[in-house]
Amino acid sequence: MALNAESVPMRWPAGPLDIACGEKAKGFTAQTAEVLRNWQDPASLAIVQGTPVNCLVVSWAAGLPADAAQPEALKPLIEKGRQAGLDFVGLIEGKADRVAAVAAAKAAGLAAVAMDGDAPAGASLPVIPWNKGSQVRSASSPVLGISDGIWPGLPQAASQAGGPTNLPWVDSNGAPVLIARALAPDKTVWVGFDPPPPQPPPQPPQQQPPRPQQQAGNSAEAYVLAVADPASYGAKWVISLDDQLRADLTAKKQPAADVWKKLVETLAFFGLHNQARTYQPDGPLAVLSNFAGPDYDSGEEAINLFPRIRQPFRVIARSRAAAASFAGLQAVYYVDQEAPDAALRQKLIAFAQGGGTVFVPSKWPNPEGAPLTAEPYLVFNLRKLGNGRLAVCKDAQPDPSDLVDDIQNIVSHRNDILRLYNAPSMNFLYETSAQGRQGVIHLLNFSRRPGSDGPLFYVKEPHKSARLVSPEIASPTDLAFTPQEAGGAELFLPKLSVYGAIELEK
Amino acid sequence: MKQHLTRRELLAGAGIGAGALLVGPAKSLATVAKPGRVAVARCKTYGPELVPAMEKMFDQIGGLSGLVKGKTVAVKINLIGVRWQRLGNAPMEETFWTHPRAIGAAVHLMGKAGAKRIRVVEGPWSTPETLEEVMLSMNWKPRDILTAADNVEFENTNYLGRGKKYSRFMVPAGAMIYPGYDLNHSYEDCDVFVSFAKLKEHAATGITLSMKNVYGTTPITIYGEGAGKDEPSIRPHGGRGGTFHFARRLPSKSAPQQIDMSLPKDAGYRLPRIIAELNSARPVHLAIIDGVMSATGAETNYGSRPQAAVKPGVLIAGTNAVATDAVAMAVMGFNPMNDRGQAPFAASDNMLHLGENLGVGLRDLKQNDIAGVPISEVVFDYTAVRDKILAERKKA
Repeated sequence: MALNAESVPMRWPAGPLDIACGEKAKGFTAQTAEVLRNWQDPASLAIVQGTPVNCLVVSWAAGLPADAAQPEALKPLIEKGRQAGLDFVGLIEGKADRVAAVAAAKAAGLAAVAMDGDAPAGASLPVIPWNKGSQVRSASSPVLGISDGIWPGLPQAASQAGGPTNLPWVDSNGAPVLIARALAPDKTVWVGFDPPPPQPPPQPPQQQPPRPQQQAGNSAEAYVLAVADPASYGAKWVISLDDQLRADLTAKKQPAADVWKKLVETLAFFGLHNQARTYQPDGPLAVLSNFAGPDYDSGEEAINLFPRIRQPFRVIARSRAAAASFAGLQAVYYVDQEAPDAALRQKLIAFAQGGGTVFVPSKWPNPEGAPLTAEPYLVFNLRKLGNGRLAVCKDAQPDPSDLVDDIQNIVSHRNDILRLYNAPSMNFLYETSAQGRQGVIHLLNFSRRPGSDGPLFYVKEPHKSARLVSPEIASPTDLAFTPQEAGGAELFLPKLSVYGAIELEK
Repeated sequence: MKQHLTRRELLAGAGIGAGALLVGPAKSLATVAKPGRVAVARCKTYGPELVPAMEKMFDQIGGLSGLVKGKTVAVKINLIGVRWQRLGNAPMEETFWTHPRAIGAAVHLMGKAGAKRIRVVEGPWSTPETLEEVMLSMNWKPRDILTAADNVEFENTNYLGRGKKYSRFMVPAGAMIYPGYDLNHSYEDCDVFVSFAKLKEHAATGITLSMKNVYGTTPITIYGEGAGKDEPSIRPHGGRGGTFHFARRLPSKSAPQQIDMSLPKDAGYRLPRIIAELNSARPVHLAIIDGVMSATGAETNYGSRPQAAVKPGVLIAGTNAVATDAVAMAVMGFNPMNDRGQAPFAASDNMLHLGENLGVGLRDLKQNDIAGVPISEVVFDYTAVRDKILAERKKA
């Protein structure tokens, strides 16, 4: 079986190479080594039997002496797995002999290998580019990897000092995934990240009855979010379990089985609700960049921040901008320090002259249009351009938060198509079908626990129906539109712990 | 056993002889405070009954034309907190914010009474956005307010705005915390200053009515978490809590500074004094309180607090902020003569008492001229609502 969009990958640490790598890490224990040996045993594959997981990512070569023993050690596992319909991908890292590792992978029957940098010339297997988000690149493989994903949630060090009025920062994989999708729309994106080391569960104060048995590692909700965050943005998490969960699953402990069951159910849910593969992010604003080199950070930060200020947006790769439609857009944020080529510049200027707003960096040469009076605090100088505006950044490195706030302010809430209330720890992503008749709003709760009130959406345009789907509810629920006096309608949602999606039909 | 209280303990009051110590270093001007005229109206909805109810109320306190004819009026509305956090599904205007129809009605009546120019002002939480943008983001129709009378405009007073410099307002009776405050020019440009508040409780100060609404006049470029150290920042950032609630930071050095850095850093001590000072420095000519729909329990959504969206169905207006707030407190079922330790001032001093000592107005209902619907007929007991929620939670 070849890798494709249906592949559901899972990191499968096992064998001498993982033990050798583990021994170099802090906190590596004899128990962890034992689990790695156990997971080398073909019997351990029972864990994924009957689940959506159909592709195991194994350590293959890392430039260590243990590289040599790894293929032989994993041979029974790979053979048994392949018989059961599983694909195997070999992860090649560090200073490994890449040519030899690819050849060994081919011989062992792996479906592909994954490695950073460039694939060896004439590789006899598909090579999944396995790079940091900032260096993501397309290749012949149907899969594109992002190796430096982030465990999603609220950062541990998040300050509570803001009281009831602060929107907290969230850790999400949304931005690198959307960028990868824009750069390589025909590829399936995989994101790799590991769970944080498990924290011991808080002990109940004395005199209180003991709590029911809990999983000692990361919670089920944390794993649900780890699946849902990349999935809602259109990517797949290369599932990675913490040491404790792997040990407890091996030991068949019930709390671990419950966590695994919930993770598997979430995978199944996203297997059924997979619109993100064909829908595209939508909104009145487009972020346009080459997302490379020094421009990557600016583009990624904007795409990180727009969801926090509830601004729906599209992402356009500069290499594809000439063919991209600007229909329905109110504004384009051109991120790159390098000026666009003449054709793209003309397209942007024509868009502004037609009534849009184009936001450009301070290096934009010879800005078109006549200066407009604007509030002095704005990070942009505004210029009138036909029926629209050109907004030229005043500084080479503006504060990213001020920048996105000002873009939203200048575009105006008059053009809001969606608004989210009562969900400070949530982000949403709005996507629509090619014809725009169907839409989906993915809603992620990074606190992993329900808020005091259910989320509430304002939807500007009339729709025929709205339906809530979520792994947290037994069956899809129709949502009623509550019309608003000033236009639009509101949708009231039940409380959500981690993920829900509103499927909209015009 | 400790025999003597330190000066700090004395200043903090802590419920021991608080009344005598409320004013601190400022001289008491309680004797110069004049009685206020306050009117109460029943108003169940923001529908057609709103304008007549408001108009009658304004007539009962002496009529609007004598106050606003030919004048520039600044109307400070209340758009507190993060706008994306409602109380349940209720829109902000039905709980925490001054309702746009109520704003429109007041603006309309001011225009009808001959106001030359009406500027609706507010410093919404941590944003430089125009008020029009803030309203649009709440699905309001700002145009309805802008066209409710001639020459209506908005200004976000979180920063310098359309002014060239900040205006300084000194506290005439002397400082308890700050000797004066630097505010947006709109508060100096106006001949008539209106505080248009909501009938609410407050987590730190017990109540937030027309006096507390004036707290939101302070620009966050000077008093916010992101204010400039020496000079006001160009761009407003953050809330005011760091400076005002807890003295974690100082205002920009360009503004009058705290008189004594050893003063308590307790919001229940600081906020009532700052509010009283602001009301003394920038007096309110007309206080209006929107109690048609509101929320109990706190000024904004606190999540775990016992809060509810409610419909007291009442409007209150007066010529003096202390007097108007005293009547509003009575409508909420509170005694305006109470001090720290008594409801609603569980952990704070009574800002009305402090305002009275600064000569702003009188909180004793008997000393004010109260017209309209008798208070006893419109009492909406905020404590009872809280008790009911707590009882239901306990049962659940």
